Amino acid sequence: MGMIDITDLAVTFGHGAARVQAVRGISFSVQRGESYGIVGESGSGKSTVLRALVGLAPVTKGTLALDGDTLIGRRSKAFYRRVQMVFQDPYASLHPRQTVDSVLSEPLAIHGFDDREGRVARALDDVGLGLGFRFRYPHQLSGGQRQRVAIARALILEPEVLLLDEPTSALDASIQAEVLNLLDRVRTERGLTYILVSHDLAVVAHMCERLMVMQHGRAVEELSRADLHARVATHEYTRTLLLASEGYRVSDGAAQGAAS
Amino acid sequence: MTPLLEVEDLRVSFPTRHGRTEVVRGVSFSLGRERLAIVGESGSGKSQTGRAILGLTPPPGKATAARLNFEGQDLRNATPKQWRDLRGRRISLVMQDPKFSLNPVMTIGRQLMEAATRTSQTRAEAKDHALAMLEAVQIRDPLRVFKAYPHELSGGMGQRAMIAMMLIPEPDLLIADEPTSALDVTVQIEVLRILDRLVTDRGMGLIFISHDLRLVSSFCDRVLVMYAGKVVEELRASNLAQAQHPYTQGLFNCLPKIEGGIRPLPTLQRDAEWAR
Ligand SMILES: Nc1ncnc2c1ncn2[C@@H]1O[C@H](COP(=O)(O)OP(=O)(O)OP(=O)(O)O)[C@@H](O)[C@H]1O
Ligand SMILES: Nc1ncnc2c1ncn2[C@@H]1O[C@H](COP(=O)(O)OP(=O)(O)OP(=O)(O)O)[C@@H](O)[C@H]1O
Ligand SMILES: [Mg+2]
Ligand SMILES: [Mg+2]
Repeated sequence: MGMIDITDLAVTFGHGAARVQAVRGISFSVQRGESYGIVGESGSGKSTVLRALVGLAPVTKGTLALDGDTLIGRRSKAFYRRVQMVFQDPYASLHPRQTVDSVLSEPLAIHGFDDREGRVARALDDVGLGLGFRFRYPHQLSGGQRQRVAIARALILEPEVLLLDEPTSALDASIQAEVLNLLDRVRTERGLTYILVSHDLAVVAHMCERLMVMQHGRAVEELSRADLHARVATHEYTRTLLLASEGYRVSDGAAQGAAS
Repeated sequence: MTPLLEVEDLRVSFPTRHGRTEVVRGVSFSLGRERLAIVGESGSGKSQTGRAILGLTPPPGKATAARLNFEGQDLRNATPKQWRDLRGRRISLVMQDPKFSLNPVMTIGRQLMEAATRTSQTRAEAKDHALAMLEAVQIRDPLRVFKAYPHELSGGMGQRAMIAMMLIPEPDLLIADEPTSALDVTVQIEVLRILDRLVTDRGMGLIFISHDLRLVSSFCDRVLVMYAGKVVEELRASNLAQAQHPYTQGLFNCLPKIEGGIRPLPTLQRDAEWAR
């Protein structure tokens, strides 16, 4: 039994012609203290897997369990104390009329934490935002600043499990390094369990011990960090992904030009 | 030949409790029919620079410039009518947050059609054009996405729908703010290929705002590096690894590597001098 066990999960949106089978039978387990990566094609169902865990996707088949307890229906307050998620779209996940201060202190109040002032100040400092940002509204922040507020909000409750959906996609290399180091340190110190979705293979290689590659709602392969380091992949899509990670080559444009 | 875009001493400021703060502090550059990248620290003013060029500085923010010319036309005192003719037709902006710039209560198809009817003779033609653009940005099921609302799309699908919408009018200048940040590398390359062709074949000018150093150094021609509201360095994209400014130099060290590397990752020792 792991910290997170997902067995044969399927998620289907809509009906009839508009039916979308976003996840088509996925199974994996994440041990306590482990960090598990999910990479894959855009639209392959990565976010949907995380959303299913926190009870925000229409599960049509399979089971989800946290620390041995099967998760069904609406998640309880106690669940959110243990499991926090950083959503892919920070703009949509921060309420436009809430200041950074209330975004951070409200969950503390709900869960009865003491020393809220101090915790808010430390959380902001941890993600490289000073107290000067405390009374800003989301629209008064840059893309990367909003993303860091979302990370600070997830960490402030000191959860056991963090679900991170493209947490550094809007950050430049220097701030990304600081945030990844923070996440890494917190995990070691508190024994947290992570599931991290990213399209950046280098980020996953750095942060995760194992990873799953998804395509079109299915897991096409599972790799270890050592496999990734050595660029050992058996599935065609994973190989393409590894190759494309080298950057844009002039031949990428030329090949298409010649064909058209 | 006059450049496509000339920007001189661009400044953007916002009122704060300590008076007005400048977040863009005297940015100057000119753009030809080329791929110009803007990279820089989170919060350094990249998005605000892009918005100010289109006169889209959100109030109560204010933008000023000594010069802001698009094909010789002074944008600083453009009338609302002139902006209507420019925005979304001759100059397009792909915003950093696709969900923010797509209308949440309108299907993707309707939004694409609004852009496509301007360039097409009939509705059928407009629809074909819209679907073809979705396919071009590697959407697996264009017809479904055409009928979908923004919240029914994944992060990367929303981003691509947005790019498709901005490219339909075939603009002369495209400002793309982190346009591929939510895309996996294989799809990313397809989208770059489209942009590449528009620059090479149609002579579009491209401002590509990104924090992805590998992508920028391999895809763009020139790079502006921003730090704390200023351009601290300008160089050929292929020379990005030989940068002079300590901020740019430090960036490559901070990147994690697929092959593995040091833990914790190296971080930048920022110098207060850089922000002066
Ligand atoms: N609320 C919804 N209604 C209908 N379809 C949906 C909904 N949410 C997601 N989908 C569909 O489910 C599929 C998987 O979406 P998901 O967001 O999980 O992809 P993803 O792997 O996270 O992609 P990306 O890397 O682009 O973020 C997509 O085809 C998407 O359109
Ligand atoms: N309405 C506002 N009021 C006050 N400050 C603002 C406002 N909007 C943006 N800013 C500030 O302006 C600065 C520049 O923002 P901008 O969005 O241009 O950054 P950026 O370089 O695009 O960063 P990122 O890479 O994180 O997206 C940021 O420090 C931001 O906090
Ligand atoms: Mg996603
Ligand atoms: Mg930005």
